[in-house]
Amino acid sequence: MTTSDHTDHRSHGSHADTAEVWMENTGTYPLVRPPVIDADEVWKTYRNGSLEVDALRGVSFKIRSGEYVAVMGPSGSGKSTLMHILGCLDVPTSGTFHLAGEDVSTMSEEELAHVRNRRIGFVFQQFNLLASMPAWRNVELPLLYAGVDRPERKRRALEALDRVGLESRVDHRPGELSGGQQQRVAMARALVTDPDLILADEPTGNLDSVSANDVLGLLDELHRSGRTIVLITHEADVAQAAERTMRIRDGQILGEQLADSAAASR
Amino acid sequence: MNVLEIFRTGLEAVVTHRLRSALTVLGIMIGITAVILTVGLGEGAQQQVSSQISALGSNLLTVTPGSTTSSSGIRGGFGSASTLTVGDAAALTSGVVAPDINAVAPATTASESMVAGTANWTATVVGTNTSWLTVRGRSMTEGQFIAGHDLSTRADVVVLGATTAQELFGFRDPLGQTVNIAGQPMSIIGVLNTVGTSSSSSTSSNPDDQAVVPLTTASALLFGGSSRNSVSQILIQARSAGTLSAAYQEADAELLSLHGITSAASADFTITSEQQVLSTATSVDKTLTVLLGGVAGISLLVGGIGVMNIMLVSVTERIREIGLRKALGATPRVIRRQFLVEASVLGSVGGVLGAGLGLLGAAVLPHFISDKITISPVATVGAIVVAIGIGIAFGVYPAGRAARLAPIDALRSE
Repeated sequence: MTTSDHTDHRSHGSHADTAEVWMENTGTYPLVRPPVIDADEVWKTYRNGSLEVDALRGVSFKIRSGEYVAVMGPSGSGKSTLMHILGCLDVPTSGTFHLAGEDVSTMSEEELAHVRNRRIGFVFQQFNLLASMPAWRNVELPLLYAGVDRPERKRRALEALDRVGLESRVDHRPGELSGGQQQRVAMARALVTDPDLILADEPTGNLDSVSANDVLGLLDELHRSGRTIVLITHEADVAQAAERTMRIRDGQILGEQLADSAAASR
Repeated sequence: MNVLEIFRTGLEAVVTHRLRSALTVLGIMIGITAVILTVGLGEGAQQQVSSQISALGSNLLTVTPGSTTSSSGIRGGFGSASTLTVGDAAALTSGVVAPDINAVAPATTASESMVAGTANWTATVVGTNTSWLTVRGRSMTEGQFIAGHDLSTRADVVVLGATTAQELFGFRDPLGQTVNIAGQPMSIIGVLNTVGTSSSSSTSSNPDDQAVVPLTTASALLFGGSSRNSVSQILIQARSAGTLSAAYQEADAELLSLHGITSAASADFTITSEQQVLSTATSVDKTLTVLLGGVAGISLLVGGIGVMNIMLVSVTERIREIGLRKALGATPRVIRRQFLVEASVLGSVGGVLGAGLGLLGAAVLPHFISDKITISPVATVGAIVVAIGIGIAFGVYPAGRAARLAPIDALRSE
């Protein structure tokens, strides 16, 4: 992809435009579109002094637009490394990785920052909200780096908070919110840029079961409205929420399975 | 992300960490205040010295017997066998050999006891000619100064300094009274103006405590001795401050030739100017200013290191925040700028507050200490600019570190 495509996408990333895409996708399954994620023989080797560790050993898979995929594996399986590559926080040592048609494996740090900003919405286990700012300021943060002006940022932040059901908590600071509410603020932040991919890294790891179900329910809802979601977890019952589960161990994909519900719906 | 947004974000971070920011600002502030006050004190002292010395008359040259050489210091005997004579002084008055010399006053001095009625006082007696008043830049409060005929007739007349007059006569009018100087009755024809005590300059004695008599009277009647024609100093007034060095050259050449000396190095007299004293005093003050300014500069440097330290702590402490901002799309450049803005905000706030405190100090301090503080606008503005510069300079390294943080490492840290 060239630079002009970047700017092109950004200028077209207006709200009305993407709303159309939603409607087009609602309730139906992907038409002919490039896969959101296309990983081909991805290797990631960490070098620590003379010690080399292969965290990923030739991982290849595709995730289509509108899919809800869980990546499941025990700790040390390479799923965190995979998440970093999916999230454009890191680049593969070898192999190619395309995000929404763009080859990100050769991008500079600056370009990666733009891709993360435009295409990916992160939901972390630790919520990662800025404690000094009220909820809506946390949600508008990605828009700040996208160069959206202030009134528009606030409008879209409030809209996103409304969507996760926190319209009455917009001025609360993270410290004044429960864990489940904080994670919902984080999800509003992930949604606000209207990204191609929502990447949730153990989103329920720090939550009690009620809040966890709450968050999973919200992810499910987002999925139904056409969002592409990748959920990374080590818990089998959390992975059950997705329509497809990829099992990863020792840096390789062992296999994948369709969830019962998803299988039934097909 | 535009500049305004970056600035807002940086400012927000400063405000969020209020206490830490305030302490950092305090460091810079003290440094700037110190610089402004010390430089102000130094400049004040310089002004004071130069105004004092210009009051003495900066176009004055003083010829004294003996000589100083750079290697061996003072050479020749002061006073014991004076090499300067009345003839030397007379020669210098010639408009032909010394066109740049306005007036010449030879002077012999001695400390003598004086008696007036029951009052007894010892003061410096100066024997000189009519030019002394002009050369010294003095005037009369009452009576007259020594006139030409007083010199030719060796008249027994005396002009008193204000202090001397008061010591001898209290509040009575001394004019027309008689005072015994070294046993010789002299009639008082005038009283000199008051100039006040001057701590510097070549007039080592109190200029208000002296008695001036005609030179001829002094050599014949008062001091006596073998060296009747010798004088202890010759005071020369140049036509203007601009012709001072020309007057110096003329006096030097004429005296060398009169004394039959071929090499300037073996001269038996020394010519000093008030300007030399002025420049010496000024250079001493400059040295002092540089020294104090250096100390203040060091405190500013310490303040700058404080900014760096705080910024580094801030980067470490906010490693997760930086990682999050990067994950959400902040480029390294944006992060670097945010931290640079923070550092320069700390620097500039410190600079402005420091300048304010410095100006306040300059306004208040002179009421408690006798020294004058001169604030130069250039130094004040310069200090603020330096403070901002320090903020940026010491913020570059921490900002670079923040920008280079990998988002995954930053997010992973607990």
